[in-house]
Amino acid sequence: MNLRILVALVQKDISLYFKNRFFALITVIGLVGFIGVFFLMPKSVEENLPVGWYAPSLPEAFTTRLQGEGLELTLYSSEEALRTAVLDGDEPIGIALPEDFGPQLARGETPRAVLYLRSDLADEYRDAYLLLMEELGFMLAGQQLNIETEEVVLGQDMAGQQIAPRQRMLPILVLMILMMEAMGLAALLSAEIETGTLRALLVTDLTVAGLFVSKGVTGILMAFFQVLLLLVITGGLQQEPVLILTVLLLGAFLVTGISFLIAAASRDLMSVFGWGMLAMIGLAIPSFNILLPGLATDWIKGIPSYYLVDTIHQVINFGAGWEQASTNLLVLLAFSAFFFGLGIVILRRKLQ
Amino acid sequence: MTQAAIVAQGLTYQYGDLVAVDHIDFSVAEGEILGFLGPNGAGKSTVVKLLSGQIKPKAGTAMVLGIDVARHPKRVQAQAGICFEITNLYEEMSAADNLKLFARLYNVKHLQIEGLLERVGIGGHGRDLVSTFSKGMKQRLMVARALLNRPKILFLDEPTDGLDPVSSEAIRNIILEERERGATIFLTTHDMLEADKLSDRVAFIDRGKIAAIDTPHTLKQKYGKRSLKAQVVGPQGRLEEREIALDGSNTAGLVNDLFAKEQVVTLHSEEATLEDIFILITGRGLA
Repeated sequence: MNLRILVALVQKDISLYFKNRFFALITVIGLVGFIGVFFLMPKSVEENLPVGWYAPSLPEAFTTRLQGEGLELTLYSSEEALRTAVLDGDEPIGIALPEDFGPQLARGETPRAVLYLRSDLADEYRDAYLLLMEELGFMLAGQQLNIETEEVVLGQDMAGQQIAPRQRMLPILVLMILMMEAMGLAALLSAEIETGTLRALLVTDLTVAGLFVSKGVTGILMAFFQVLLLLVITGGLQQEPVLILTVLLLGAFLVTGISFLIAAASRDLMSVFGWGMLAMIGLAIPSFNILLPGLATDWIKGIPSYYLVDTIHQVINFGAGWEQASTNLLVLLAFSAFFFGLGIVILRRKLQ
Repeated sequence: MTQAAIVAQGLTYQYGDLVAVDHIDFSVAEGEILGFLGPNGAGKSTVVKLLSGQIKPKAGTAMVLGIDVARHPKRVQAQAGICFEITNLYEEMSAADNLKLFARLYNVKHLQIEGLLERVGIGGHGRDLVSTFSKGMKQRLMVARALLNRPKILFLDEPTDGLDPVSSEAIRNIILEERERGATIFLTTHDMLEADKLSDRVAFIDRGKIAAIDTPHTLKQKYGKRSLKAQVVGPQGRLEEREIALDGSNTAGLVNDLFAKEQVVTLHSEEATLEDIFILITGRGLA
């Protein structure tokens, strides 16, 4: 295919894309919206446990020490006020120690402490807070547990540098923008098939192969530059930029193939959206697993977008390099080539 | 009109079980206008697609400008102009941008867009979006697009279908101008009057087969019935119709008798139309 034809078609497609007010608008709104979502998400992880606290008999120094142990204590003036705060959902738990708690301990008696739990607190949290209560008891009694504990961190120690929610969001935002562009390209293609303009193009010097090259270039360019813009603005290119750019390029390649499939299956804009949303939901599953780890099992590795979002996640959030990402890149390349090829075969059948 | 611009031999195409074009043979001479006539679904557009290399035949061959279309569609398309049966323009682009795009694809270097638009009767509308055009203007732009590469052969698929008389006439004039330039024209239509006016020869296609092919005059001679129709004053003083076949053995005597015995009010000759002949040959109309 010669460059003259390629340039003419890519220019035409990009121009038509932005002449379509709907797609121009959702592209801008989507980009601004996704970037906005990123910056609205917390930039750090809250590491302190919130606890409502009523303990009038304990010295202030002890309370201050607890704050340093990772507890975020909110002090209440009465046990009733603490109860109300937990009941209203202001605190997940409340710990109330009676006024003579210290003296009772000193006398060797067994004082009564009350742990107020919010009704929707998960079982695991209840158990954890009970253990916390026991630990507090030991601290107050001045006793050491007769256990020697050794900390062994498996993998990269993320203590103090947990992945912020906005960083976890990045892979899903990348995928959303890629899919948005895929739907745009699919809508353009579908409209060209239905109105017969593709037939007019194909009786010029343009070959069917050339048509797919031009559509592929248009799709990849548009998707790539938008996710690139997202990552530049959100700082996602600070780690291994060349590796990230490679992943984005492969991602754009993958969704372009998927857009060919959507176009082949669609007759109008509504069916493009129908098929597009279906594809988007399927492809988004691996990114939900990054957002909320432990949701899914190994089957998500059968979804091609896993290798896209996982690589971005590993590079941006764990500092992975080419070596660690190489397997993901190869699988992503294979998936992208497969979908691109499949898209061409099916779309070609429709053109005939 | 010496060399053949199109030679079709045993040309066949089918969509699944439906045979759209059934072993047809015909040729079109260089510089000739062939009117390809038939009702909707007769196979006209499929023949255009086959001859212009948009689809490959299931059997038979088509040589266009001496090139086997199935083997070298791009070589044929480079010398052909195609006006499709559907309006397939980029509606969100201007008329000029539509032409510029296709000029780049055809590698036409020096394109006089305004001149071309003037020629098809939509001069001054180059910057207007195609979506704002009337059907007639769109059709004229389609013809302009087909003329971009100064084609040696033009495939015009129902170019005046549904157009107003002014637009239809403008397109007919362009067809005649192109023939004057030396282009061969393959015109499909179901407008028999248009075919009669423009075509050097017409071919009737019905259910994928060519039912007849010849000049309109010969077809009328061969199949048509000519007659004289007269209005005369009848016995009760009312107007009555009389008809005399012109090709009968006693035509002269019957005409003499008419004038001798009847009071003739009006008299006119009537010739069979291509539509009459089509119905006579195929047993069905064009609708």
